[in-house]
Amino acid sequence: MTLHAEPLNTGIADPLADQKPVSLLRDTLRNILRQRSAIVGLTVLAFLVFVAIFAPVIAPFDPTQVLLGIEDTATPRLAPCIHWLGCSMDQPQHLMGLDGNARDVFSRVVFGSRVSLQIGFLTVGFAIILGTIIGSIAGFFGSRIDNLLMRLMDVILAFPSLLLAIAIVTVLGPGLINAQLAIGIVAIPVYSRVMRASVLSIRDQDFIAASRALGESSGGILRRRIIPNALTPLIVQGTLGIAGAIIDVAALSFLGLGAQPPLAEWGSMIGDERNAVFSAPHLILVPGIAIIVTCLSFNLLGDGLRDALDPRLNR
Amino acid sequence: MTRFIIRRLLLSIPVLLGVVILVFILARVIPGDPCRAALGERATDEICDAFRARYGLDRPILIQFLTYIGNLATGDLGDSIRFGRPVSQILVERLPVTVELTVYALIFATVSGISLGRLSAIRRNSPIDVATMIVANLGVSIPVFVLGLFFAYLFAVVLKGTPFSLPPSGRLTPGVEVIPLAQAWGLQDLGGPPRVILDFLSNINTVNAIVTLNGSLLVDTLRHMILPAVALGTIPMAIIARMTRSSLLDVLGLDYIRTARAKGVRERDVVSRHGMRNALLPVVTVIGLSLGGLLSGAVLTETIFNLAGIGRTITEAIQGRDYIIIQGVVIIVAIIYIVVNLVVDISYALLDPRIRLT
Repeated sequence: MTLHAEPLNTGIADPLADQKPVSLLRDTLRNILRQRSAIVGLTVLAFLVFVAIFAPVIAPFDPTQVLLGIEDTATPRLAPCIHWLGCSMDQPQHLMGLDGNARDVFSRVVFGSRVSLQIGFLTVGFAIILGTIIGSIAGFFGSRIDNLLMRLMDVILAFPSLLLAIAIVTVLGPGLINAQLAIGIVAIPVYSRVMRASVLSIRDQDFIAASRALGESSGGILRRRIIPNALTPLIVQGTLGIAGAIIDVAALSFLGLGAQPPLAEWGSMIGDERNAVFSAPHLILVPGIAIIVTCLSFNLLGDGLRDALDPRLNR
Repeated sequence: MTRFIIRRLLLSIPVLLGVVILVFILARVIPGDPCRAALGERATDEICDAFRARYGLDRPILIQFLTYIGNLATGDLGDSIRFGRPVSQILVERLPVTVELTVYALIFATVSGISLGRLSAIRRNSPIDVATMIVANLGVSIPVFVLGLFFAYLFAVVLKGTPFSLPPSGRLTPGVEVIPLAQAWGLQDLGGPPRVILDFLSNINTVNAIVTLNGSLLVDTLRHMILPAVALGTIPMAIIARMTRSSLLDVLGLDYIRTARAKGVRERDVVSRHGMRNALLPVVTVIGLSLGGLLSGAVLTETIFNLAGIGRTITEAIQGRDYIIIQGVVIIVAIIYIVVNLVVDISYALLDPRIRLT
């Protein structure tokens, strides 16, 4: 059986005929693309993802390979050698020189993009998932559970974030995974608060009461009705949070608590060479700029998303 | 108002207790034997038994916790495993460095952040506005350790020999002497808390230099503080500038501003007397919130600029697995942070009557 019917031929043009249905997704996308900062952020981010995916093709050397003894001219902290800028052709080309262990800096920076992007997404993903669970339980069930969970979040927020992360990594032991875990834990309160606020604003609305009247379980209401409605602020907060997570994990690596050698991670590259800043500043400059560009792109995208997705700003 | 302050004070007690419990738990679940971690793998069982008895690690966990709380309440943070000295004594020596650095960074961030934000809002969409917002966007994306190293290179190597050259490391030039206040005033016999406070103030070089009217010490201290303070203050500066701009733009669009302009108030007075006063409220909150970032950033800044503050203390303690120091420093910094947030909340309520009523 089909409900499809031939349109009546009345001779009058249907006023709705040439009006395309507006899809929420397309509307949102158009709003995002109208934000200049979001476009800049997305473009740079696309470039970074491209570099990360094709890192083995782009990088001329293995990022962990020590070139001492393999190349005759290789010495620790060798200055950059670029052929078309006049570096002698019999010397192997190193766009950004060698680091203190005679490894190719350009290759390490290229491969570092993989590490940093993964750090950003995993750390914030972890924090968002736990924060969403905690925030929705607190907001949905209220009273004592709410009070208990939110005081726990207050305790985490009572520490300067990096210090608590340092304390957690001391307990777990240094390492990239543990550093990400620590930064993730420290970031949970932000997302649980955002989630709780959204839940509280939605919980008492009529469509929730309707779902309940139709016999939907608490878990179902939470999963199918409340969480989808609270996603927008989480996405915005999460995008801005990625930049912070990349910086914080890099800071732990800088202190020797995160990525361990010989992994090519921007923070630890800077940490390893920080005493060489006066003699070979490019060893700090190059990974430093890489961190700045990555974080800037996430921050711009986050700002753009906020402006595009916040209905109060749609004037 | 009194009721608000009392309620706010009571609310911070459970948080404080939670902080203490969390740090206690973290310090106890460090994997491995704390004795072998502190004294090395080759420590004999007898030495380790003595070690556990000395630090009370052989007693039930609840007793350990109560002793710990009791000690904390009397200002006893335990003895450092590595140095064998009381942690509170180490803090009196090193916390002043961090306080000095953080205060200078906060002053830089507030003054330049508010002026940049204000300029940006008044000249909206002008090249100045665009430039300021680019700087502000960059500012929140630069890790403090990258900026610190950039500055160190720029001012110590590139600008070497020019009047702009600045020292990239340490608190003072070798040879510049600091006379402790207790010695300068002949108070060596003073003991107890007054002595602790005196020593603490004495170790803040700026305070010491001003109190003893030591001009060369003041100049040298300031020269060494500029780079770390600017590096540390850049991120909060960017946040404050953005907040000031958007807040001032909101306020300048309100009716009472138009009324003021219609009355013929000079534009400069409209902005500073009518606009800024209301626009600054959210900025005060942001300034308070940025303190956590400053204390976190101090750990990194001190490592880069070789300043022996609590940040350096903590990184050294991590390397030496001296968890008594880590525990003591983290708890003291968390308490400072809670107290400062309390002060910010109360001052915010003083500034804005609407807060008190809710």
